[in-house]
Amino acid sequence: MAEIRYIKAVNQALADAMEADPTVFLIGEDIGAAGGSFKATRDLLEKFGPERVYDSPISEAAITGMAVGAALTGMRPVVEIMFMDFTTLSMDMLVNQAAKARSMFGGQGSVPMVLRTPHGGGLNAGPQHSQCLEAWFAHVPGLRVVCPSNPADAYGLLRAAIDDPDPVIVVENKALYAMKGDLPDDREPIEIGKGRIVRPGRDATVVSYGAAVAMAETAAETMAEEGIEVEVIDLRSIQPWDEDLVLESLTRTHNLVVAHEAVEAFGVGAEIVARMADIGFDQLDGPILRVGAPFAPSPFGKTLEDAYRPDASRIVAALRRTLA
Amino acid sequence: MTDLVMPKFGLTMTEGLLTEWHVAPGAAFHAGDVLFTVETEKVANDVEAEADGVLAKIFVPEGETVPVGSPVARLAQAGKDAGRAGEETQSTRPAPASDTEDAPSARKLMAEHDLAREQVTPTGRNGRVTKGDVLRVIATPLARSIATKQGLDLHAVEGTGPMGRIKARDVEAAAKLSTRPLPAPTPAPEPAPAREIVPDAARLATARRVSAAKRDIPHFYVSHEAELSALTGLRGQLNADPDAPRVSVTHMLIRALGVALTEHPAMNRIWAGDQIVAFSQANIGMVTQTPDGLRIPVIRDAGGTALDDIATQARDLATRARSGELGASDVGDGVISISNVGMMGVTSLTPIINPPNAMILGVGAERQLFRPDENGAPALRREMTLTLACDHRIIDGADAARFLAELVALLETPLRLLRPARGTADPNAGD
Repeated sequence: MAEIRYIKAVNQALADAMEADPTVFLIGEDIGAAGGSFKATRDLLEKFGPERVYDSPISEAAITGMAVGAALTGMRPVVEIMFMDFTTLSMDMLVNQAAKARSMFGGQGSVPMVLRTPHGGGLNAGPQHSQCLEAWFAHVPGLRVVCPSNPADAYGLLRAAIDDPDPVIVVENKALYAMKGDLPDDREPIEIGKGRIVRPGRDATVVSYGAAVAMAETAAETMAEEGIEVEVIDLRSIQPWDEDLVLESLTRTHNLVVAHEAVEAFGVGAEIVARMADIGFDQLDGPILRVGAPFAPSPFGKTLEDAYRPDASRIVAALRRTLA
Repeated sequence: MTDLVMPKFGLTMTEGLLTEWHVAPGAAFHAGDVLFTVETEKVANDVEAEADGVLAKIFVPEGETVPVGSPVARLAQAGKDAGRAGEETQSTRPAPASDTEDAPSARKLMAEHDLAREQVTPTGRNGRVTKGDVLRVIATPLARSIATKQGLDLHAVEGTGPMGRIKARDVEAAAKLSTRPLPAPTPAPEPAPAREIVPDAARLATARRVSAAKRDIPHFYVSHEAELSALTGLRGQLNADPDAPRVSVTHMLIRALGVALTEHPAMNRIWAGDQIVAFSQANIGMVTQTPDGLRIPVIRDAGGTALDDIATQARDLATRARSGELGASDVGDGVISISNVGMMGVTSLTPIINPPNAMILGVGAERQLFRPDENGAPALRREMTLTLACDHRIIDGADAARFLAELVALLETPLRLLRPARGTADPNAGD
């Protein structure tokens, strides 16, 4: 068991995957000599050479298109898009090509590509470098979306994404890149679609992913001081998401809050809430509440961004409301 | 066409019981005619017509309580709308007053579920209860499924969630109650059948009022013995004058409360919803037993009124209360009432506050008893027990204790009752 930073866990997963499978290669802006804007690909150029760590021109559409083509012809490309905000330019390739190929070719083709990209705020990076757009991808049949909340999951989910026969969007939270955590010595992929109970509880469930998991744990800590036991679930995977785990938890706690950093309206939380209001209806003993960012672009200045980003106190407020 | 609304008779009146209509639907009336009677603040108020007109339609039947400002009837002006009013009366054929305008299905459901009309929130036009209002129980899905499994009727469960929502815990608590084993039935000798008596409007009004008072006001109580030798002596001297009005202990208590409240203006306040009403005068209610139930006429400005005048006014108010002649200005706007049951010989009374008052003083009988003097020898004393019930929302224990001690001090040095209250000249005495 070694302590490792989130960004280093990503780097380790890429290195291990490239070691294990010669068809894995990396493509992105400044990922080679510069080692990536956040240093996720540091030293990989030296280790694996320019044919497997490919510095691309500044064209997200071209990068993604090349990856789709390479994947269709037997490679396992791992794309880095520097900020999730720039995936807007990759959308046509992802939505109309990568997501559709398996279905349109009658199962005879597949796109085993991975697109890694950081989302989230907290770094005063402004409205075009802080967005959480995972709900867009989760809405497209044919794409899978994962969002690790800690270094070990960053490793395990990226390895699973690279192994997956279909296109997977790996959403990393840039505010978590410096987070330290243990990486087990027997490093295994984490099954996509399975969540994890981070903290067991009796009175209410908070479903979260990415940076919101730590916020939910802090909120649970606060509530525990009042004798209210909150269960925290880390979804790990957004598409598909672990409906069975959430329903099972709701069946025990009867109260549900869904927390994420993304804008609340039309988000991942809305899907989970709607589904639980359907299959979990008779289990509910209070309204299901969402905690997310307000419906506004992420502000640039620190004070405004602090007010904009969800935090533990907002999860606590939601818990109090649903438990009232 | 104008609507007649439930009038507001006092500062804190929020609703009124419409006890009687004096004009039939469709009938004409003249300015000054009594249109209807409203029971509130333990007094019946007659509402008179301000101008000639025709009563087109009654919305609120006798026996119903509605909020201040709610329409109770529609008026037509004499001559102008009379024809139309007549048509309307004929065409709409209002139901008899006893049969409210609630939907028949709603009435049936309420009867089946043993629900009083007040337990249902009406959403229909003109406060009509619809079937949906009766069926609508606000409960969480989990609470519903538990209730279904346990065979519990949610109408019988009290919700503790937001807006009275029934939560799982409420159903579980109710289920626990209903499954408590019943005591084994003991064969009883054939009892005389109990009679069911329909309470009259006055009893109903009192029942509703005291239930609400005891439920909504967080009461606490402080008691104090008052030594009455000096007071009895002073009263004897005052009443020796055949030309002056006879002064009773109650009158002296009213005067003492008036002086104490004037000297402690911070106690002369009531809790009215989410605001505090501070009175500029000490108005003291006097709980009076009448053939129609309790009435509480109010002595105004007892702090600025001489004891003789208080005696005269109190006697007049009590007489009029017993003959049912109290007017709207004779009641309301008091901070405290006195309930004296000493004449029955009881030692003390722990009374229920009369809303919107903040206090009520229960007065027990005067009695002689021995108390040890400084040397431990028995000394004969005349005492009575005063019990002050207070609304804890506005009064704290120490304030109440200080106030009651001050009242007792006034009664034990009763010459102060003949002097003006202290500090009354200071216009800033409010705080």
